[in-house]
Amino acid sequence: MKNMVFPGDMVSNAPIRNAYVYVEDGKSYAMTIGTYDAASGQFVPLEGNWTPRIEDTVIGIISSERNNVYEVDLNFHGRALIIGGKFEKFSFKVGDVVEATIKDIEDRRTIILVYPRLLSGGLILLVKPSKIPRVIGKDNTMVKQIADSTKSTIAVGRNGMVWLNGGDAGLAAAAIQRIENEAHVPGLTERIKNMVEKTEKR
Amino acid sequence: MASKANKPELIVNGKRLDGRGFRELRPIKIEAGILKNADGSAYLEWGNNKVLAAVYGPVEAQPKHMADPTKAIIKCRYSMAPFSSLSEHGRSGPNRRAIEISKVTKEVFENVVMLNEFPGSQINIFIEILQSDGGTRAAGITAAAVALASAGLHMKDLVYAVSVGKIGKELVLDLDMIEDNYSDSDMPMAISPRNGGLLLLQMDGEYTKEELAEAIKIAAEAGKTISKVQKDALRSVYEKVEERYNGE
Repeated sequence: MKNMVFPGDMVSNAPIRNAYVYVEDGKSYAMTIGTYDAASGQFVPLEGNWTPRIEDTVIGIISSERNNVYEVDLNFHGRALIIGGKFEKFSFKVGDVVEATIKDIEDRRTIILVYPRLLSGGLILLVKPSKIPRVIGKDNTMVKQIADSTKSTIAVGRNGMVWLNGGDAGLAAAAIQRIENEAHVPGLTERIKNMVEKTEKR
Repeated sequence: MASKANKPELIVNGKRLDGRGFRELRPIKIEAGILKNADGSAYLEWGNNKVLAAVYGPVEAQPKHMADPTKAIIKCRYSMAPFSSLSEHGRSGPNRRAIEISKVTKEVFENVVMLNEFPGSQINIFIEILQSDGGTRAAGITAAAVALASAGLHMKDLVYAVSVGKIGKELVLDLDMIEDNYSDSDMPMAISPRNGGLLLLQMDGEYTKEELAEAIKIAAEAGKTISKVQKDALRSVYEKVEERYNGE
């Protein structure tokens, strides 16, 4: 693979600002496996964990409920909470799948979620968080393409959980898993398009 | 160390028992990402050593009182399979040696992994020695570094480890089991190739000041080969997928 860098590889002689690069003695080194294009300064990580950011859309499973406060399992090492208020009563049950937005992150490990939406039925797919941007695509094009062709409802969480329901959910799941495995190979959009459309015509 | 009374001749006609030169490594082979359930994994064959390393994390720290609100903690388990060597291993949990190696391995990676990115979490490293033939702690660290990289954890460097020993007056690289048992000294080292920083240095036996400096130099030279094998292992995971489509 071209321009592949490994942890500790020097990517630049000068300090550069990048989430996957650290600076020591005025030089920049890679922190993770990825591809780095020196001309555009773009670092694409091939592996990685999810770091929560405010306004991220996530998908999780309700793991406990007490006094209108719900704890959500986001496949994350910290806690995630949906806190109901006086006028905001939720009626989720343990095991329900919800989509929500991050409002706040306390101490970098307690996530406060708002606008929860119950996702009933369907199946959950665990995808590497570093590949989620590819699953979504530019302006949601990739996920829209899969959803339109398979007539499946798809919700993508930044934490690596993808929820699918209805239509040809099996094909949609296969397409998403294919994106996860092949995101670094050029021509991905074309391949996924062929994959979902071929089956549609059948 | 084994008894000196029945010490075998370790250098014959200027070659070591297995036919290697003094500064020659055993053949190394690494495969990354072979365990699907782990976040990162690696399988390593280093001469007759066979090592499996798996990384899970970051996960919630357990027990909770061990959690550090400012950074992640690393837990490491080095263990030898009961069938890994001729002597007895692993029949009743970790022994003193396994506990020691787990501790030094943990300390190697505490210096490399960016722990402050995952406060309150825990990273688990498991190193399982399937077959041992001397230098397993070095093999374990080398494999675990690949597993950590394939787990996508942010690291300052891709660490490797190797041992340098002394037979008579000769410094030799990468001791195997017999050499380890009967040599005059043995020194496993873990090195950060980016700046040559020493992350582990354990010594058994004696070295003069000059020999010590020379030994570190030999290890750093051998590290170029080991680092290349590590990087090729990580690269081939992606290249395999890529090759499948080049024909289309």
